[in-house]
Amino acid sequence: MLDPNQQFRGGVFHHSIPDGRIGAEIRITPSEIIAEPSAEALSAMDPSEVARLPRWVIPLSECQVDLGGASGRMVFCRNKERDLTIFCEERGFAAMLGDRSGGRISEQLHLVRERQAGENHRFRFWLAVGAAGTLLFGVIGYYSVLAAARFAIAAVPISMDEKIGSMAMQTIEKEKKLSADHPATKFTTEIVDRLKPHAAIPEMNFKVIVIDSSEVNAFALPGGQMVVYTGLLKKAESGEQIAGVLAHEMSHATLRHGLQRVSQSLGIVAAIQFLIGDAGGLLALGSQAAQTSILTSYSRQSETEADLEGARMLHEAGLDPESISEFFDKLKKEDGDIPGVLVWVSSHPLHEQRIESIAKFKSTLGKKEYSSLDLDLETVKKSLE
Amino acid sequence: MEVEIRNRPAFANLLVNLQPGDRIIAEADAMASMSSTVDMTTRMNGGLFRALARRFLGSESMFVNQFTTNTSGHIVLTQPFPGDIVCVELRGNTLFLQPGAFLACEPGISLGLGFAGLRSWISGEGLFRLKMSGTGRIWFGAYGAIFTREVTDEYIVDTGHLVAYEPSISIRVGLAGGVFSSFFSGEGLITRVRGPGKIYMQSRSFDGLAAWTNAHLW
Ligand SMILES: [Zn+2]
Repeated sequence: MLDPNQQFRGGVFHHSIPDGRIGAEIRITPSEIIAEPSAEALSAMDPSEVARLPRWVIPLSECQVDLGGASGRMVFCRNKERDLTIFCEERGFAAMLGDRSGGRISEQLHLVRERQAGENHRFRFWLAVGAAGTLLFGVIGYYSVLAAARFAIAAVPISMDEKIGSMAMQTIEKEKKLSADHPATKFTTEIVDRLKPHAAIPEMNFKVIVIDSSEVNAFALPGGQMVVYTGLLKKAESGEQIAGVLAHEMSHATLRHGLQRVSQSLGIVAAIQFLIGDAGGLLALGSQAAQTSILTSYSRQSETEADLEGARMLHEAGLDPESISEFFDKLKKEDGDIPGVLVWVSSHPLHEQRIESIAKFKSTLGKKEYSSLDLDLETVKKSLE
Repeated sequence: MEVEIRNRPAFANLLVNLQPGDRIIAEADAMASMSSTVDMTTRMNGGLFRALARRFLGSESMFVNQFTTNTSGHIVLTQPFPGDIVCVELRGNTLFLQPGAFLACEPGISLGLGFAGLRSWISGEGLFRLKMSGTGRIWFGAYGAIFTREVTDEYIVDTGHLVAYEPSISIRVGLAGGVFSSFFSGEGLITRVRGPGKIYMQSRSFDGLAAWTNAHLW
């Protein structure tokens, strides 16, 4: 299997060579390693230089081997005086050396390989430690900036919410907006007015418009502007259920979830701008993100917060906090399997858990006699037909 | 072909005097000026895939320029950063170059791009390296001065300072001191090279330039 006349391409380090190194052809005889300048090397040299070049020979019996080089697979053979090095990276060279030396060199190479394996092992260990450390550092950094941004939002004036909300409002289709004196508009405005004193930020400029659309949806923009679709009004069974939806949406505005969304969707850049209070830059970024789809798709945590804050508002206003659960329970039961229609429910996931957490929260609010809204939903519904 | 390295070491550049039959290959944007008698042909460097790899993995140009003349003429070749240029003559041996260092070579040299390994990458010497082999002269540049060392045993180089090395050199990453002193002294990681073989180092590093620039931006 080993061709005894095989030539290997490699090189030689020796002081007799101009520049100390040269490409070489290497042969291994039963007793020696012999290197001669390669044809390629000779072609590049002066004939006078070539004449002075010897053949380099290392007796196998005194050859000291080592492995290394950029690939880790280069075999170095040194003579006893260690002033001559013949090296080769070709496949089969090490095996041939081992074979010709009767196993002595194989043993030396084996020891070197074991040392290398140990080094590789340590390298991989520290590489893994380094990678894990870097990742951890990055993740912690990311979340601490986001968390800091959350607190920093409290320092941003409400006027910022209003500006972003107004920008988003401009992007909404308002051709089918019902007039201010339409019964549906009056009805929803009346509910908002009653809930307003109990909002966490009562001085927020709450405003609600009704848009004629079969979509069962409602949302609040940062700053307190809200949109209710007639589809949602038609589905409701009572004014209290609509009050539940509106309390939930008003809570998104007072808890400033829209700004949190902006800071999250725009990432770390916006978060840092929150922190350093660069209102102008933030506004520029906000205008890019001022699309209702981004501003009103909140995290699960935000939804739960809005549920509970909405429940608190209803309670304070003397209305049953569970009217909101009642409403989406009805939606789920009736049309739960019609996809796409029930936008409001589908954008508010984990149905059962929410109903449960609202009930639990209600029990902590203390007993209270809840009244009903003396508003006429039926007339409103008729006006929409 | 006569090639002179001028204005060493700070703003080194190559003055190449071409005679009929001479040919020099240079990095795509290296030409600063040339005689009107010199012909320049642009060619992709070794097929589309290799050219693309060289461009995106080795941060070298996709194209190289080849200069010839029918009468006689000269070309001036420069590198984009201030520093020295050296000439190395290959005689059937190989030299690895850091991405971005290549400036020019004679036609007997073949250029390839190889994976340099994670160790090289971590020590700031790049994930890929240019492999120069064949016979002929090559010219490469560095940021700052270039100094060489014949490494017989082991030698330590700060990360980002290694410009070129022979394939007989192995590279390992190490910490400059203990875990803490390494990170707080600003030395951090170092490159341990093991010979035998020659290494070419630059006196400045691009990381150092980037850090200095950042510190003066604000
Ligand atoms: Zn919601």
